[in-house]
Parts: sequence; C-alpha cells; structure tokens
Amino acid sequence: MIYRETGQFKANYQDDQALFPIAQDRYVVLAVLLVTFAIVPLLLNQYWLNAILLPFLIYALAALGLNILTGYCGQLSLGTGAFMAVGAFSVFKLMTVIPELGFIPLVILSGLITAAVGTLFGLPSLRIKGFYLAVATLAAQFFLIWLFNKVGWFFNYNATGMITSPPMTLFGVIITGPSADPVAKYYLVAGFVAVFALFAKNIARGRIGRNWMAIRDMDIAAELIGVRPLIAKLSAFAVSSFYIGMAGALYFAVWLGSAEPTEAFDINQSFLVLFMIIIGGLGSVLGSFLGAAFMVMMPILLKNIMVDGLGTDAALAAHIEIITVGVLIIGFLIVEPHGLARLWRIAKEKMRLWPFPH
Amino acid sequence: MNERNVGGEMLKVENISLSFGIMKVLDDISFDIKQGEIRSIIGPNGAGKSSMLNVINGFYHPQQGSITFKGETRKQMAPHVAASHGIARTFQNIALFKGMSTLDNIMTGRNLKMKTNLFWQALHIGPARAEELENREAAERIIDFLDIQAIRKKPVGKLPYGLQKRVELGRALAAEPELLLLDEPMAGMNSEEKEDMCRFVLDVNSEFGTTIALIEHDMGVVMDLSDRVLVLDYGKQLADGLPDEVRNNQDVIDAYLGIPHEQA
Amino acid sequence: MLFFIEVALSGLMAGVMYSLVALGFVLIFKASGIFNFAQGVMALFAALTLVGLMEKFGMPIWLAIIGTIAVMVALAWAIERFMLRPLVNQEPIILFMATIGLAYVLEGMGDILWGSDVKLLDIGIPQGASDWMLDSFNIYIEKLEIFAAGTAAVMVTFLAIFFQKTRIGRALRAVADDHQAALSVGISLHTIWVIVWSVAGIVALVAGIMWGSKSGVQFSLSLIALKALPVLILGGFTSVPGAIIGGMIIGVGEKVAEVYLGPIVGGAIENWFAYMLALAFLLFRPQGLFGERIIERV
Repeated sequence: MIYRETGQFKANYQDDQALFPIAQDRYVVLAVLLVTFAIVPLLLNQYWLNAILLPFLIYALAALGLNILTGYCGQLSLGTGAFMAVGAFSVFKLMTVIPELGFIPLVILSGLITAAVGTLFGLPSLRIKGFYLAVATLAAQFFLIWLFNKVGWFFNYNATGMITSPPMTLFGVIITGPSADPVAKYYLVAGFVAVFALFAKNIARGRIGRNWMAIRDMDIAAELIGVRPLIAKLSAFAVSSFYIGMAGALYFAVWLGSAEPTEAFDINQSFLVLFMIIIGGLGSVLGSFLGAAFMVMMPILLKNIMVDGLGTDAALAAHIEIITVGVLIIGFLIVEPHGLARLWRIAKEKMRLWPFPH
Repeated sequence: MNERNVGGEMLKVENISLSFGIMKVLDDISFDIKQGEIRSIIGPNGAGKSSMLNVINGFYHPQQGSITFKGETRKQMAPHVAASHGIARTFQNIALFKGMSTLDNIMTGRNLKMKTNLFWQALHIGPARAEELENREAAERIIDFLDIQAIRKKPVGKLPYGLQKRVELGRALAAEPELLLLDEPMAGMNSEEKEDMCRFVLDVNSEFGTTIALIEHDMGVVMDLSDRVLVLDYGKQLADGLPDEVRNNQDVIDAYLGIPHEQA
Repeated sequence: MLFFIEVALSGLMAGVMYSLVALGFVLIFKASGIFNFAQGVMALFAALTLVGLMEKFGMPIWLAIIGTIAVMVALAWAIERFMLRPLVNQEPIILFMATIGLAYVLEGMGDILWGSDVKLLDIGIPQGASDWMLDSFNIYIEKLEIFAAGTAAVMVTFLAIFFQKTRIGRALRAVADDHQAALSVGISLHTIWVIVWSVAGIVALVAGIMWGSKSGVQFSLSLIALKALPVLILGGFTSVPGAIIGGMIIGVGEKVAEVYLGPIVGGAIENWFAYMLALAFLLFRPQGLFGERIIERV
C-alpha cells in the first residue's frame, strides 16, 4: 500500500529514465542522504568512525569498482588488493612529491594511475575468459605486492618498508595523519563515495553500462551487434581500477594512516571485496553498499556477541568468525545467488502488495 | 505475389570454404543476395546454414573464398565491422542478454548509433542525456512495431520463448540494418506465432526496405515469403533459384524435401 | 652445469609436489565442472587430522590413515549434501565462490579441532638426502622427494585407468560435461559426487602427507591451492597427465628463475613467477597444454 506506483504516470521518456522514477524511492534516498550528511556527523565518535563508518564507506567504493568489472562486465578479478595498493602507493608518492595540488586532486590522480595499471593487466582479458582470467589477475596481485615490497622507490627507501601518510589539509582542516579531524574525514569520504556512486549508477544505465552487461551475458552476440569487446572490457578494467585505486588511496591515507603492502593489500583483501559484491549483489550499486556494510559489520557483531556476550576466548572467536564467513558465503549462494540487492528488490515487490497477499 | 522492389546485388559470396580441423563445414559455396529481396537458405540439419551466416557476419573466418558487400570485397571481416556496415542478425538459440530488460536489449542494439564518451555518461547531462532520449524514442518505435510494449521493462530471461524471439528481432532491427540475417526465427513456434513473425518479416522488408536472408525449416513459410531460395546439404550447394524451381529440383527432393505421402 | 641439473631436478621434485595437489583439482573439475578452491585446505585438513589422530588419540600410523580416510569420506558426503546438492546447475562461478566459502569453513574447523600450531608429521617416510644419488651422480636429492614422485606416478596410473576403463569413470566424465543430461540418463549425481570428492579427499591426504613430511603441517599448506592454478592452466583443467607435467614445468620454472634471476631483482620471485608463466602461456594457448580447444558456437 505504501509502496505503489499507481498514480505516478510519466509523461515523457525523460521522466521514465530518471534515476529514481518511483516517488517513494526518491524519498528514501533523500532521507538516507539527510541522515548521512546532517545527522550522523552530530553523533559521530572516534570509535564509530574508525571501526565502522570509514571502512564501510571506503570498502563500498572498492566494492563499486569491483562490481563494475565483475558484476556488470562479467570479468572475474582476484587482484583487488593489489590495485588498492597501487592507489595507496600512488597517493603516497604524490603526497610526498607534490602536495600542493591538494588532497582531492591527488586522490583522483592516484585513481587515474591505477586505471592505467588496471588497463594494462586487463589486456589478457581479450584472449582469456572466466577462471583463466582470474589467474591473470592473480598474477597482477602477487607481482604488484612483491614489487611494492622490493623496490625502495615506492616507499621512499624507508627502513621498514611501510608508508605513512603525511598530514594534508582540505580547506584548512587537517584530514590525514594522527591529528586529523574525525568529522572532516567523515565528510570527505562520505562526499567522495556519494558523488562517485552517482557516477557509477549513471554510467551503468547508459550505453557503456549496457555494453558491459552485453559482454557479460553473451559476448559473442554482443560482438556481432557491434559492441567492441576490446573497448568494453578495457573500459571496464579502467573504470573499475579507477574506483578501486581511489578506495585504496583513501584506505591508506585517511583510514589507516600507515600501511605495509603484504598485510594491508594481500589476497585476503581481494577475497573480502569479492565476497562483498557476491553477498551484496553482482551488478548492483545498492548491492555494493549492502555487501560492504555486511562484511564490515559482521566481524564486529560476532566479536561482540561471542567475546563480550558469551565470554568466548578471543582466538576461538576468531576461528569461529572464519567458519561463519564461510558458512554465510555458501548460505547466501544457495539462498540468493543474486545477493542482498535482490532480496531488497523482492522485499519491495512484496511491499507493493502489502497488506494483500498477492 | 511477391511484388518487391528488388535492386542490384548487395551481397556476393564467392567460393567460400570453411573447415574446422578436418571437418569441412562449407564447400565452395557461391551465391548472391539482391538488395530488397527476401532470400531463404534451407537444408537438412548440419548442412552448414548457420555457419554460412556466421561467415557473412564475420564470426567464422573461411579458409577460402571472398565476400563482397556493397561493393567492397574482403576475405573476412571482424564482427563489429560487419555490424557497423549494416549487417544485423538473430540467432538459432536466442542470444539475448538475459540479465537485461527488453528495452535495454533493444537499446543495446542501438549501440552503434551512440557515441558520447565516458565523462558525459557519468554526469548524465547534456549530450549524453539527449542521445539517450533520442535513442529511446527509436527503440520505442521498434517496440510499437513489434507490439511488445507490455514487456518492455521485463527481464528477458523471464519471457516465454516466442516473445524472446520477437525481442531478438527487435534488437536486430534497432541497428537499422541494410541486411538482416534471421536464423530460424520461427523455430519452436505455433502457427499463430509463425503468422505473426511472417507478418513482421514482410513488414520489415516492405516498410524499411531491409534485405533479408532467412534460414527456415517450415517449407510453407519459405515458399510463400522468399524471392529466391538457396539449398545446402552437408556443406555443399544443391540448388539456387526461384522457390518453384527449387521445390521441383530432384536433388533437393532426395536430400531434404521428400515427396507427399500419396505419391510414395 | 651440474648445478643447473641439481636445480632443475630439485624443481622437478617440487613440481611433483604441486602436481599432487593439482590432481585433486583435476579430479573434481573433471567430474563436476567445479574448480575446488578448497583443495589446498583439504590437504591441510587431512594432514591435521592424521597428526591429530596419531597424537591426541595415540593411534598407530596405519589406523590413523584409515581413520583420516574415513573422515575425508564423511566430509565428502557432508559437502555433497549441504553444499553441492542445493547448488546443482548453478553457474560455475557461483560454485567456485562456494568452494572459497568451504575453504574458510575447513580452515576454521581445522584450527578449532586440532589447533593452529605447526605440527611435525612423521609417518616413516625416509628423510634426508639420497645417498645413492649423491654417490652415483654427485647430485643432492632428498629421499622424500623421490618417494613423492613415486607415489605420484602410482596415483596417476591408477586414476587414469579408473577414468578410462571403469563404468564409474565414464559416469564421472558424463557428469562433468552436463549435469542435467547425466541425470536424465539415470546417473545418480549424488553418489558420483560423493565418490569424486572422497577420492579427491584421499588425494589431498596424500598431498598433505608429502608436504607435511617435508615442511611440517602448517597453514601455508592451504596457500598451495593458489599455486595449483598456474599448474592447471599449463596442464589443462581436465587432464590428469597434464596436472603432472604442468606441475613439473612450474616447479622447474620457479626454481630456475629463483636461482638465476632472483639475485638480480632481489629474490622472492617464487611469489609470482608461476602466475606470470601461466599468464604467458594463456596468451598463446588459452586452453593450456593439454586442455580441449573450445570452439564457440552461436
């Protein structure tokens, strides 16, 4: 009853193609934006920011990136961790060399650098498909991490091999480094994510997004229609890596503050983001957010329930967490392989009919 | 009956031979298709009909022979080049993009008409938006033509078989092709659906002037619709001519058509 | 020159170890079309169970081995019942993701059941350098590696016969091709899968024993799964001999690269060399050395 399209007629194609054609959807999104930008900052504290909000937002950005490549374009990638590293190391070098450009341009630049690297490692996709492509991305993953570990230039020849973010300011407020202002950090990251999520949605529903999905669904038929696989696949790699690179830059500079390549960006990171888009929903912007929220919140919830609630020993809790992740992955794949986003859509369908059964 | 405006030669296939390993799929095939005509390709299963279409499309590359399309001769061309030169097609085993809606599938068919780059697409204003709307209108014209308004937002994977075939036709038409290759468009349909599809094929030819090459097994349809018929069997060319000629050709009867029960 | 031969032989032996793990992958892929990411963890789990049975329950070696085999069969049954059956006919990528989930589950379970410290595995396989090789050819090879190579050869022969000659083997190949079609001719998918995953489990046990005897039973064993991917790329996902040859090529390639190229670029090339090699291969032969060439039909 509440969620119905009845009475909402569109008089032209422009309205029909709006981002949120159903009025109720628009209100929900506006409400979410309101909460995000007006209410949460007031309730913010350091713990919430660092343990939940920042990782959620940053991983959502990375999940958006991977979803573009794997969800929309169907190219499986296990190299997300390494590409985040590219973004992180790019922004590190840029911050130490040309900080005058300003933080936001530097993040965007690191995204562009990552896009270039991603396109390069995406070249094999023109010959290789499916699992085999996953191997190519694994090559990227292991090679790049090795590179960042070995070549001193990347970490400015520092003895430990770690990179640390120097303090940067935005409009006069410090946003990186130990003395950064939490609210400022939040606004920066939330703003970034909101803007680029919008861009992703726009691209996905336009010509380029359709071409990606065509390649994913039936690449031969797509080619015969005139979709050029080269352009489609490489553009997917490029845009995806752009997003993942920026996520990596923010991950290092704003959230972690310092990072070491093998710990922060290893293959487990790649799996983590992959799980986010599977659980959240492949080929869905909303799904990227839902999946990121789920995978960020779950360990925290589990730890709270087990260690604080039941008094479980921490090591045991860690093992149980691993098992739970595995079981949930399998469970999700069985119950709804299209993820939380599909469940949400089904829920909306039911809401259209409520309180009637059918 | 078939009073069509048939023009000059549009496609000429010369001595095409295609093999996969030691398996010879097409053996020295030569024929032409004239502008504006409806040409059928018939023959038993495995005769190489779909492979012939794939060669024209640029998907299979023949070992020998050449194709001349609109005056340009080439041994082979990349599929997207064939598409951009005005060749579109449907497939035997429906190759729709199952993850997308009817409208999106047809809009994807408009892909070659759309050009705005990534930057404008991300912002979705100005040129990108205008282009999207313009092509939406074109897609809607096709949706009206094929009478599929009711299912335009439905994911095609959920549609019944007959409707999927119609959507696939729509996607091919969206590219405004000069040559339309239809691979068994009526397979698996009942007689009502077949009539509808026949009507669409004829309309496409008469309203848009599209040249059509058609693979089909229903002889009634073939004889009624076509201007000329090509018969293939085991990769070889058996006959090529007017429907009546082909119907009475002894080789064709032996290989494929058979004879009515009374005469047996 | 002698040094090169030693390095190459050492690589070959290492490669055989990879092959043992890759064999398990091939089995499951051949019979169910699934790429079992959890194969490495299964090897770890099997080795952990073996050691656990011997240490915690004081079983003699032969009983512990039988016990572990029983556990792996039970595991195969559980996997089929709770993971494979609900996911019948889903796309391969979904199944692949499920096996990643399975890997996590097994890892956690292994840690909880048997503890996560490194364990010593000694079931009587001869250790130390082979004196015979040292004396006859002046080459250093470990007896363990020779033993592993021999075991691999026996297993491969057995499996090859199994797949080609037996009725079950044929059924397995049918299932790998098309689940639904196999069902429609009366092949019981469930039984087949339990059999296959059990056999893969036993193969994993053998691999786990070899690796465990060599370097102790520890978590890094499960990472071997990732290394098996390049092996499979080279050898083809469905070829048993391919897994062996692929493993050997990767083994030799890695060792040679590490020894000769390593010092130039600072070492630790083994981390990524196998993947780059596989990648290079893929660009020229997308289906691997022994894989079947896929002809796309429209």
